[in-house]
Parts: sequence; C-alpha cells; structure tokens
Amino acid sequence: MEEADMNWIPKAAIAAGLIALVALVSWLPSWGRPTPKAGTTERVEVWSWGAAALSLQRAVAPMYAKAAPTADLDVQMTGTNLQSRLLLSLSAGVGAPDVSQLQEREAGKFTRTGGLRNLNSVAAKYADDFAPAFWQDCLVDGEPYAIPWDMGPCAVFYKRWVFKKYGVDPEAIKTWDDYIAAGKLMLDKSGGATQMMPMSVADFTDFFQILMQQNGGGLFDAQGRVWVDSPQNREVLALLGRMFDSGIAAPIPLYGASWLATFKGESVASFPGAVWITQPIKDNSDPANKGDWGVFRLPAFRPGGLRTSNMGGSVLVLPNHPAKPDPARDRAAWEFVQYSLCTVPAQVAQYKGFGLFPAYLPALKDPYFQQPDAFFAGQPVGQLFAKDIEKIPPLNRTRDWNEAERMLGQSLSGWIEGRPSASDKAAYDGRFLQNLGEAIGRKLNRKVAPPDEADGMKRGAA
Amino acid sequence: MSVQIDNQVPAELTQAIDRLPEGAAALKHVAPSFGRRLWQERWFYLFISPFFLLFAVLGLYPLVFSLYLSFTQWDSIGPINFVGLANFRTLLLDGQFYNSLLVTVIIGCMYIPPMFILAFGFAVLLNDQTIRLRGLIRAGVFIPCITPMVVIAFVFQILYDTKFGLLNWIWTHGFGWLGAAPIPWLESGTWAKISVSILLVWRWTGYNMVLMLAGLQGISADLYEAATLDGAGRFQRMWHVTVPLMRPTLTFCAIMSLIGTAFMFDEVFVLTKGGGPGTATNTFGMYLFNQGFSDFRFGYASAAAYVVAAVVFLLSLATLRGGRSAV
Repeated sequence: MEEADMNWIPKAAIAAGLIALVALVSWLPSWGRPTPKAGTTERVEVWSWGAAALSLQRAVAPMYAKAAPTADLDVQMTGTNLQSRLLLSLSAGVGAPDVSQLQEREAGKFTRTGGLRNLNSVAAKYADDFAPAFWQDCLVDGEPYAIPWDMGPCAVFYKRWVFKKYGVDPEAIKTWDDYIAAGKLMLDKSGGATQMMPMSVADFTDFFQILMQQNGGGLFDAQGRVWVDSPQNREVLALLGRMFDSGIAAPIPLYGASWLATFKGESVASFPGAVWITQPIKDNSDPANKGDWGVFRLPAFRPGGLRTSNMGGSVLVLPNHPAKPDPARDRAAWEFVQYSLCTVPAQVAQYKGFGLFPAYLPALKDPYFQQPDAFFAGQPVGQLFAKDIEKIPPLNRTRDWNEAERMLGQSLSGWIEGRPSASDKAAYDGRFLQNLGEAIGRKLNRKVAPPDEADGMKRGAA
Repeated sequence: MSVQIDNQVPAELTQAIDRLPEGAAALKHVAPSFGRRLWQERWFYLFISPFFLLFAVLGLYPLVFSLYLSFTQWDSIGPINFVGLANFRTLLLDGQFYNSLLVTVIIGCMYIPPMFILAFGFAVLLNDQTIRLRGLIRAGVFIPCITPMVVIAFVFQILYDTKFGLLNWIWTHGFGWLGAAPIPWLESGTWAKISVSILLVWRWTGYNMVLMLAGLQGISADLYEAATLDGAGRFQRMWHVTVPLMRPTLTFCAIMSLIGTAFMFDEVFVLTKGGGPGTATNTFGMYLFNQGFSDFRFGYASAAAYVVAAVVFLLSLATLRGGRSAV
C-alpha cells in the first residue's frame, strides 16, 4: 500500500490521538495520589494487609473519623508482596502511600534505604512507651524511622482435654526440659499417636528465633558483627536437637493447611507460638472444644529464666514523597499513625477486635487485658502475654537481617540431617554455628564476633 | 520458491511492473537510500512503531540498565555506586550461587527427560486420527499449564503433606503390608527435588505436547506412505521419518525448557516456600529473587543474572547447532 491509499485517515486525528496518549501517560503518575473526599482536607492513604488492615478499616477508622474529621482515611488491603510494590514505588518516587505497614523483621532494610521519613522530631518522646525489643527495631543510628504496631509475645497454647487425658499438669512445666519430658510421657501413653508440638525438619527457623531471642542471643551483635556462634545460640541448637531426638515434634510445617488441621483432634497437644496464632486456633478448632483450650507461659531455658519471647509483629512507616512534597499531608499521615499506635483507646480497640497485641506499653495496663477469655476456660490470656514483654532481649536487626535469617533457615535443615551421624553433638553444633557465622560474614562483608562473646548486645551501640 | 530481484530484472517482470499503478514505480529503482525508504514507508513504520517503542522501554532498556547495574551497588532507592567488577568477584566466592546452579541443573535433569518422553508420547497419540476423545485428552494435558500456579501449589502441598497428604495415605494404606513408612515429600532434600520435578512434569508436559503435536502435523503423510511402501514398520517409520523431521521442534522445545529451567521461580516460590528444605530446591531463579527483591542487592543480582544468561545463551547456541547438524 502506498501513501495515496492512506489519505482517508485524517492526519489531524492521528496527531490528536498521539497528543492524547502523551497527556495520558504523563498524567498517570498522579493517579497514585487522588484528591481528598468532599468535606475533608487531607487524604491519608495506608497500605496494609490481613487482619491488620481490617483492624484499621473497622476498628480504627470509625474512631479516627471522630477524632480527626478533616482527614480522609483510605486503608487499602494490598495483599501479598506489598513490600516489593512499596520498594518499586519508593524507587520510582511516585505511587507510594502516605503510610505503610511493614513486618518488623523487614523494617531494618527499608529504614536504611533513605526512602522513609525520619520521625525523630515527632516520635522520640515515645521511646520509653514501647517494649525495648521492639523499639530497637525501628531505630537507625538511634533515631526512629518506624513506629511499632503489634508484637508477638510467645507462650504455649495447649489442649486441656489432651493434657488431662494423659495426666500432664501444664503448671508443672517450667523449663523446656520439663516440656520435653511431658511430651515424651504423652507420646508413650498414646502409643505414638499424640505428639507434643508441630515442628518440621524442613523449616524450624521460627522456633530457632523464638528460642534465640528468649535466650538473649542474636544474629548480629551491637556493633553489627555477625554473632551467630554464641553460647546462647549453641544452647538453642542443643535444645532443638533434644526436641527432635525425643520424638515430640510432629512433622507439620508451620502456618500451612495441615497445621490448621492439627487444631482439631489429638494428634498434636500443644503449640508454642506467638499471640497472633490465637485467632487461627479459635477459627479452626473444633467448636466442641471451645473452652477446653489453655495457655501456659513459654518454658524457660533454666529454672527462674525468662518465660517469654517475641515472634513477628509489624510497624507503620511514612514513605518519603520526593516527587511531590506536601507537608500538610505528611502531618496528616503522622497524626494518623500517632493516633493508631500511640493512644490507648485505639490500641485496645485493635486488640479487642482483631487480636493485634500492642507494643505500646501504656495500653497493656487497660483493664481489658485482665479479662477472662471464655475460649481458654476463662484464663486472662492478655495478662499472660503482657507479662515481662519489656524484658524481652532486643536484637540488632541491621539492614542485612533478612539475608542472614534466610541463610540460617537454609542451613538448619542441613544441620538436622547431619546430626544423627555426629558422635559428639556439642562439637557438631559448635562447628555448624561457626561455619554458618563465617559464611554470613563473607556474604555480607561483615566482621565475625569471637565465639565466646556472651553479651554481644550489651557492648556499645552500632 | 524464492524470487531474487537484482539488477538483472527479467524482462517479463519489468513489463509487469510497468503495467502497475504509478505508485509502484518505486520498485523499479534498485536499492533506494535508507532515509528515502523510511520516508516512503513512513505509514507502515508508524503503525508497527508501538511494538518497537514498547520493546525499547520494557525490553531493551531494562536489559541495558541491568547490565550497567551489574557493575554497581544499588538498593533501588538510594544512590547508585559504581563498584567495577566487585559484584562478579563476590559471585565467584558465593557458595549459595553455585549451590543454586547445582540445584537448578539437578532439577532440570530430573524433570526434562520424563517430560519430553510424556509430551512426545501424548503428541504421537493425539496425532493418530483413529483415537477417540482427542480434544478431551488434549485439553486435559494442556490445562495444567494455564492453571494459576498458586492454586496448583496449594493442591500439591496438600497432596504432599507428610502427615495428612493423600499420597502418603495411599502409600501407607496400600503398601502398609510392605512396611511402607510415610514419605517426607517436602521435608527431605532429595524428596523435595522429586516433588518439585513431579509438579514440573505435570505442569509443562501439555505445553511441550502442543508444540510437538504442531510439529507432527507438519510432517507430510506422503512420507509415511512412501516409507510404508518401502516396507518400513511402525517403529522404523517413527525412527527414520518422525524423529528426524521433528528435530527442529524438539530443539525448540529443548531451548525453551533450558531457559525455563534456568530462571525457574514460581513453582519453588510457592511449593517449597522459597527453596526449602534448606537449599534443596533453591533454584537460581529463587536465588536471584532473594538477592534482588528480598535483600535489595540489585547490582549483585544483575551480575548473577548476566553470568547465567551468558551461560544459557551459549548452551542454547550449542543446542541449536546440535539440532541443525543432526538433521
């Protein structure tokens, strides 16, 4: 076909179309930040997921509408991979929300990118109001870049009817060795049908970390050196080894469909874990067993030792908007975060409605935490989880926590696979931690702390 | 048949061109300049330009940018720091990198041969016009590769579950008298690789089958008829007619599988929760994702990607050459 045949297309129309396309493309980025609704002056867009997002939408939003009538709150449930999308938005400089949720363990790598706002001028006053283990995760060079939201204090959920059947008294379980002994008793009496806890050799990183933090260990010391091979972590490995050797661990991966299934029946008797598994237990256990569940405090490493730890939790952060600075919106975003996380009524409402356990210590003094929970036969479980959370040892997460944690998780399966053939288990554990520490140090280009360093988190800040 | 137009234009063709409308006269000019041709064909170029614009923005730019990134350190938000060959040096000493390559090769060797045999078998079966319900079988084999991976992984996780899974239930109940113990499908390194391979075979057989079926349907029935007349049996027809003529298709399938294996990601991301247990199924694609999107080391991830892409490119060339020389 030649030019003559194309004359039927009005060239002006083509030109207009192209101009419209260019205009559309250049207008697209502004979609990320729509204008506030009528009657409000500041729009606050929040990215969040799961129960946390529901909690903001249903528990906090109605309260906040009264407290700050000019704010137009838009909580978006963004589902999975929020972190990747947030990263891309921060990288592009457009599209990031005003406020975003992050997992506590991921906060470190985001806070160090420079993509989040430094909250020191507005949030430093809250330093003593949050559990130290959690506040530490929000700091970079001593200044906060995130605010703790919910945390995951740990205890052991158990089936009263199973414990009763095999004559095990949960109150008598004070140390992990007591726990293993009780598990073995149940295993013997049930002919192998009932195991004490779900823990798969494929992935028990969460258990390692619960025990590591309880025992005052870590992956990095206060100076940012790799601190994997420590007396504390060697104790953790020895304990995990005893748990697997005793046969009390059922091969069930955490948080999957089969894990949910074990809340019914008697195949697994108890679930050491964070407070946030309360809701999955309530939702998935047999309705006939309502009121027949219980919680006891996390067993200690030694008599009189710390009986709690932390697993998971999340924070709220305020992304920078370098492309479109807007101080009024930034202020509105901070006021929303402050209201949601640093006031007692908002925190209690979130715990009441959605089980988000406050890291904000003043909220834990609210009478609601003393209330009995009918599902757990009237136990005041809020009080049980709140006890000693300010004593949970902090970790130095650094920007490399994710990678170190993944390398740990990937190595642990190899550790348990090779363990049966090791004649000297303690030496085997020590060698494993030493090799892992060195590998992490090489990969992250970090120094490795000496192996006898027991108080790595106490010696000077990073 | 190909027609070559050069300076020696045959007389009949010149006359034919002369009879064409005026606009076609351009054909008489041999090899006009590039700029002139561009102007003459501007409407055609305008209409095919969206693809090239999109390709330049979404294909070429990331390719060039990631090559540049491979010499830098960048967390995707802060400043880009040029570090020369440092990423490649770290890569050389990175045990996880080698391990991910090894895992990828092992899984590739475990799933590609059975997948090819099955795909070829199904293609031959469906190419037989006497088989009934061909459409149903074809759809049945193809459906897995258009089913969302998350759904597949969820179902397979339940099937593979050590304690409550259907596979172990059948295994321990059906073969209990042999002393069959539950198989740790996703909990032992070896079994996890087997489990991933089974899923890959199940998922990708249909895709390869369709390609092979198209290849088979391109083989002229005359050749089979001639071979039959020459006294060739069923097996001889397969070996001396089908297989040689299918080589280009098989080569194409092999290259696609090679590339797919090298950057395999979603199957392990959802089935073994990112490459577990340990690093047993931590494929290169998974490793790359973790380095980039989990650890924010985009420069390092780009360096690793470029090294592997170069290896895959060379392997693909070798496969292509092998496929050609064998015909």
